[in-house]
Parts: sequence; C-alpha cells; structure tokens
Amino acid sequence: MFKKALVAAAILAIPAAAAAHHGWTSYDEKKVIRIRTSLSDVKWGNPHGSANVRYKNATWHVVLAPVARMTARGLTKEMIGPKKQVVLEGYPRRDGTHEMRIERVIAGGKTVELR
Amino acid sequence: MLAAIGDWVAATSFADWAVSSPYAYPVANTVHVLALVLLLGGIGLVDLRVAGMFRTLPLQPLSRALVPIAALGVLILAASGSILFAADAGALARQDTFRLKLVLIGIALANVALFRLRYGAVVADPPPAGARLLALISLLLWTGVAICGRMIAYS
Repeated sequence: MFKKALVAAAILAIPAAAAAHHGWTSYDEKKVIRIRTSLSDVKWGNPHGSANVRYKNATWHVVLAPVARMTARGLTKEMIGPKKQVVLEGYPRRDGTHEMRIERVIAGGKTVELR
Repeated sequence: MLAAIGDWVAATSFADWAVSSPYAYPVANTVHVLALVLLLGGIGLVDLRVAGMFRTLPLQPLSRALVPIAALGVLILAASGSILFAADAGALARQDTFRLKLVLIGIALANVALFRLRYGAVVADPPPAGARLLALISLLLWTGVAICGRMIAYS
C-alpha cells in the first residue's frame, strides 16, 4: 500500500507535457541536415552553446554542446565566429520547430563531434 | 512576476559568469545532485521511519543525525541551484516544469514548518497519526521536486 502510494505519486509528479527539448530523442536523426554556412548570434555558453543560421529561407536555432566539451575537442568560439564558413551536420526538431541539434561541426579544416 | 525576476537575473554579471565560465555550470550541476542525495537520503529515511517503516531503528537519534544533514542539503541545493537558474534564467522562469518545482519546494518547506510547529524538532515515538501523514507528504513532495528538477532539461 505504502509502495503503491509512492509509485503513484512519482508518476503523478512527472509533468504531462514532459516533451523532450534537450534530449537527442526530440530530434529526428533520420533527417540529416548538412549545410555550409556561417553562424550568427553565437552564444558560447552553458548549459550549451547556441547560434542562429539561415536555412531554407528561415532562421533556425542551432543547439551546440556544453562549452567544456567543445573546448576539450578543440573547437573555439573564434572558429565558428561571424563570417567564418563552417559545415554543420545535425538533425531538425521532430515537432517542426526551426531548431537543429548539431552532431558535428567542420570548422577550420577540423571535424569536431558534439555528441 | 517570475518572468520579470528571470529577466532581471539574466542581466546580472552573476548570470554572465554562470553562462560563460566553462566549469561553473557543470560543477554546480554536480554539487546540486550530491546535495540532493543529502536532502532526500536524510529526510527520506526520517520520513519513512516517522511514517511507520524501520520501527527497530531508534527515531530520536536518527532524526538528530539526519535532519541537519537534510537541512545542509537544502542550503547547498539553493546555492548551486541559483547558478543553474542564472545560466538560463529568462527561459526557466517561463517554464511550467520549473514553476511547478518552485511551487512544490514552497509547499514542502511549509510542510516542514507545520511539522515542527505541531510536533517539535524531534517527534514523539511512536509518532501520532498526523505526524505520520505529514512525513509521507514530505517524502512525496521532495520526490516530486527531484523529478521536476530532472525533467527541466527535457521540457
């Protein structure tokens, strides 16, 4: 009875609208986006970096990785700075929002994995 | 109002630091989890004992040992949580999961106050039915707070 109450409360406490946002599961890995572009509004910060790109006549929000991970793998803010040409490989949000999560960046001749 | 507070926090230099320091966020995140262990491990065991489990464990030494550990956990959670909040304050202040978490924390703290007011710092053994009920509610509330916390990143 006690255990049942615990389990029930735990389930109730999970918000119904816990639709994933940051988890990889909310991005469609079957629809690979690969674009050569330059990033604007780069935010080199935690909990994860972000930027904007123009893609298919729209502004897309780009989700990068935590700063410590990007730095450890050799990516710097300068490498993805304004007017720097980079290649992004990532996946769009399943819900149709103009947002992509980036699997890898090719910048300055270097491929950096972000997962 | 919370949205306005979030925007205000986001504009502080503390928020700048939380965002731009490579290590502030991951370290605060780790400390937050460890402090949650202190809180839930401490108060959870006392709650279970008050609610009626582990009756062979002496209640009063158990509460004297574990309640301060839980309180320390709350303090560390508030400190590390403020760094996590500052790093994304504008968006978090508008997020349902985060708001629910704050409400649950408020109710849980009110429950602590109510318990201590009615039953004192260390409850009599065996605990009265009201104390057992509040202990059970405490356990559910703090568990709910922890679940909300974990779900914030996925909401």
